[in-house]
Amino acid sequence: MLDVRNLDKSFGAIHVTRDVSFRLDKGERRVILGPNGAGKTTLFNLLAGEIAPDAGRILLDGRDITAAPVAERARLGLARSYQKNTLFDGLTVAENLGLAAAVASGATRSILRDALAAPAVRETVSEVAARLHLTPHLGAQVSAVSYGVRRQLEVGLALATRPRVILLDEPTSGIGPEMAHGFHHMLSSLPRDLTLLIVEHDMDLAFDVADRITVLNYGEVVFDGAPDDARNSALLRDIYLGSWENA
Amino acid sequence: MFHLSPLRLGTLALLFAGALFSAFASGYAGLEILTEILILAILVIALDMVAGFGGMVSLCHGALMGAGAYAFAMAGMSLGLPVWAAMLFAVLFTGAVGWIIGAICAGSHGIYFIMVTLAFGQMGYALVFESPFFGGDDGLAGLARPDLSALGIDLNRSRAFALYCLAALVLVALAAAQILRSGLGRALVGIRDNERRMRALGLTVWRTKAHLFGLSGMIAGLAGVLAAQHVMYISPGLMAWTVSGEALVVVILGGLGTFVGPILGAAAFVVLRHEIGALTPYWHLVVGLILIAVVMSRANGLFGFVEGRLARLAARRTAKADAPHREPRDA
Repeated sequence: MLDVRNLDKSFGAIHVTRDVSFRLDKGERRVILGPNGAGKTTLFNLLAGEIAPDAGRILLDGRDITAAPVAERARLGLARSYQKNTLFDGLTVAENLGLAAAVASGATRSILRDALAAPAVRETVSEVAARLHLTPHLGAQVSAVSYGVRRQLEVGLALATRPRVILLDEPTSGIGPEMAHGFHHMLSSLPRDLTLLIVEHDMDLAFDVADRITVLNYGEVVFDGAPDDARNSALLRDIYLGSWENA
Repeated sequence: MFHLSPLRLGTLALLFAGALFSAFASGYAGLEILTEILILAILVIALDMVAGFGGMVSLCHGALMGAGAYAFAMAGMSLGLPVWAAMLFAVLFTGAVGWIIGAICAGSHGIYFIMVTLAFGQMGYALVFESPFFGGDDGLAGLARPDLSALGIDLNRSRAFALYCLAALVLVALAAAQILRSGLGRALVGIRDNERRMRALGLTVWRTKAHLFGLSGMIAGLAGVLAAQHVMYISPGLMAWTVSGEALVVVILGGLGTFVGPILGAAAFVVLRHEIGALTPYWHLVVGLILIAVVMSRANGLFGFVEGRLARLAARRTAKADAPHREPRDA
């Protein structure tokens, strides 16, 4: 589904992504771990097309998208959420989801019809809102809702585009354990044909959700394997987490 | 998101009724002022579409209006097109010019966007000012108004021409509301609020901006056609950057992105210009002071001020109604 081959990126003298390769199969849920500064968000920005790699290739369903613009990748079914909320603060929760669904469905190209009133768009808004427990907040302006709701909406925007692959950048950062637990449950309940690539610091989520775990350190893949193997890896324990045994 | 609240619809209805009353009750001078307001209102609707709803603060809308006027004049004089065909040509031509400018400027933001649009405007001004083909500094005279004599309407009369401009404004307002309510308009607001996210959702941002700039250009072009027909003469002054600057002042004065505010601003601006201009040549100073007061109040223009006040009042009433009822204490 998503094939990342020998991706490389430097900012001046700083080498942030070093020869990164991995392959995501359809429906696979992969969690990327790594300490701060390991290059996780840079990798996401490379995959989403927000920055261009110095070398390497990215293939989506066999199609080379390395040079494709951000919007084209999104239209091909590659959605992303951001580590820092990137929402439409002046709009309501429903309008945020509606806008995402409308762009994905092509309704924003029409000069005659109201994109947000289209039945398909409204259906998507209801469905995504129900899945993310956003229904009670649909009429509220984004700037007026809690951080946790905004965090859920951040993921909701990606889901509303009905993607095939979602890149989730630290979706539970800054939210309480109860909400994070609900989030694990939501991710597990997503259709199995949806492919997920998640950057996460929350170990519970990593081991709950992941089919495979990739660990980055100094921009380099230092581990790629099953969660159980990751849990037992001495190398990873040394470079990343002293407390893994308790996770 | 664009929406016409009861307050906005009510204000629009009042403005329309006021314009209609003025068209029938005014003498020659009043009708000239009314026509000026109506044409400026069309221009500022075009500017508010891109600046208020799209965050693209343009300093070339005066030039687009001028381009419409010159295209109308040249289509009639050089191509020999009948008046209605020349009007259509001018509107489409200005739309195409607007689309190209929008596509080129789409990657610029903030002060850079303003500067690039200013540069386009000044290029247009220089072109018509220097070229004998466009009449140079002398401009072009003898422009025709449409012939509606078959309907028993003589557009050479001030009242009929003012009503013709009012009809054009109503059509433009309906078209602009439809555009802003459409998918394209919703996307424009999304771009204004968060361009990066719109791109990540799959929107080709430059194309959306170019389409809206083109549509806005068509409306500005129509304002130019009406301006040309109004005075039956055009000169490079119509394309000067100060026309764009004045239009921006009107939009800010009325209320950026409120749809109704700029129309109100056009009426206030033209009336102030004529009324205070009759008393002192320093009328710009008075308009400047009003603009400073409006901007410093952070109320989003005259209409934004009223809207904000009413919203606060409504919120206070709701809070009062929701508050638990307390028994008065015994003395």
